[in-house]
Amino acid sequence: MAEFVLTILTPDGAFFEGPAEHAVFRTTEGDVGILAGHADYIAALISGPMKVKRQGSFRRGAVHGGVLKVHDNKVTVLASACEWADEIDVERARRAEQQAREQMAVYTSGKEFDLAQAKLKRALTRLRVTGA
Amino acid sequence: MAGGMKGIKQRIKSVRSTMQITKAMELVASSKLRRAKERVERSRPYFEGMAALMNSIGAKGNDSVYLRQRPVKHSLFIVMAGDRGLAGGYNSGAFKLARQAMEGKNALVFAVGRKAVEEYSKEGRGPGAPRLLHTLPEIAGVQTASDLDELASLALQYYTDGEADEVYVVYTRFLNSLHQKPTLQKLLPLAGAQDGEEGPGELTIYDPSPGAVFDAVIPEYVKGILFGAACESFASEQGARRTAMESANDNAKEMIETLSLHYNRARQSAITQEITEIVAGANASRGE
Repeated sequence: MAEFVLTILTPDGAFFEGPAEHAVFRTTEGDVGILAGHADYIAALISGPMKVKRQGSFRRGAVHGGVLKVHDNKVTVLASACEWADEIDVERARRAEQQAREQMAVYTSGKEFDLAQAKLKRALTRLRVTGA
Repeated sequence: MAGGMKGIKQRIKSVRSTMQITKAMELVASSKLRRAKERVERSRPYFEGMAALMNSIGAKGNDSVYLRQRPVKHSLFIVMAGDRGLAGGYNSGAFKLARQAMEGKNALVFAVGRKAVEEYSKEGRGPGAPRLLHTLPEIAGVQTASDLDELASLALQYYTDGEADEVYVVYTRFLNSLHQKPTLQKLLPLAGAQDGEEGPGELTIYDPSPGAVFDAVIPEYVKGILFGAACESFASEQGARRTAMESANDNAKEMIETLSLHYNRARQSAITQEITEIVAGANASRGE
């Protein structure tokens, strides 16, 4: 299968850099699959699952917010956090989910609520991609 | 003379114990510096990519609130400094730059780092003084970008609510271990089109539209830039502290050398004097 170069950058460093055959990300408009030779494209990402296909098999992961750019058969993802499904700490995600729900019960609106909601979203994404 | 000797001895002792502290601080700063430097280097591709992308989307021209220049009534400054002193001119350098930038403006301040919080919460400030709105008292506690969620979303809120018409960040750029440069960067509104910058081609698809992508990515962008600035500042602080402690060590060493010389001279002259006295005494008693 034709390949393209995928680069996933986070503030903690380069998360992934290398050839890929197929990649799926969740944008604000829905899931978008990228194959080699995709037209130049820019979209914003939300916290959601991702899939990257290399040598015929998919690897799943989670991306939290950011932006997806396709230019000249190079795909760049700038994300605030990113992790592979098999590296996610399920216990920690569960705790985060619990905490976020508690905070949302205390603050019913405003900034704290928004922050808790974003935290809950991240935790749920993590739990979903691990299948827990 | 013996009293002089005692005094010198005491001074040597106190300089030596100070040197032990500065030596320890130097070692701690160098090990922290190593880690902070790695973090800065790892994170730079992300920030540079983000800044370039936002500039190029902005250059497409859209009527986003984040691009619109409006008359400036209030300016928000996010000032980053260290948690501790004893880092040479690190903290004062950042404050000096911030002061210059705030001149003639109605300044609002978010302070990051304990020293910055102290600087802007000082008592007895005039009516034109910057107003401290939000604090993050520990810059060393900023480990991941999500630690700045609150700061970034507050800054955006002030901006979109019209309480601040522009947002700046003051931080110290880490050039290398010996050189750090206080830097002022405008966060909002974004500058938009910049000449000579290579942007995505005309045929790029924006899903759903340039303006929508731009607005959706802005929170990420602001958080990213702030986290980058915090990483740079932290590395700069360690670098500045290590340099300061190194020169403190050198000074202490020099002082000890000089004091030892004085001490030995004093000791020698005391002995000489004693011998002279004994000899004179002996001569006198023989002469009787």
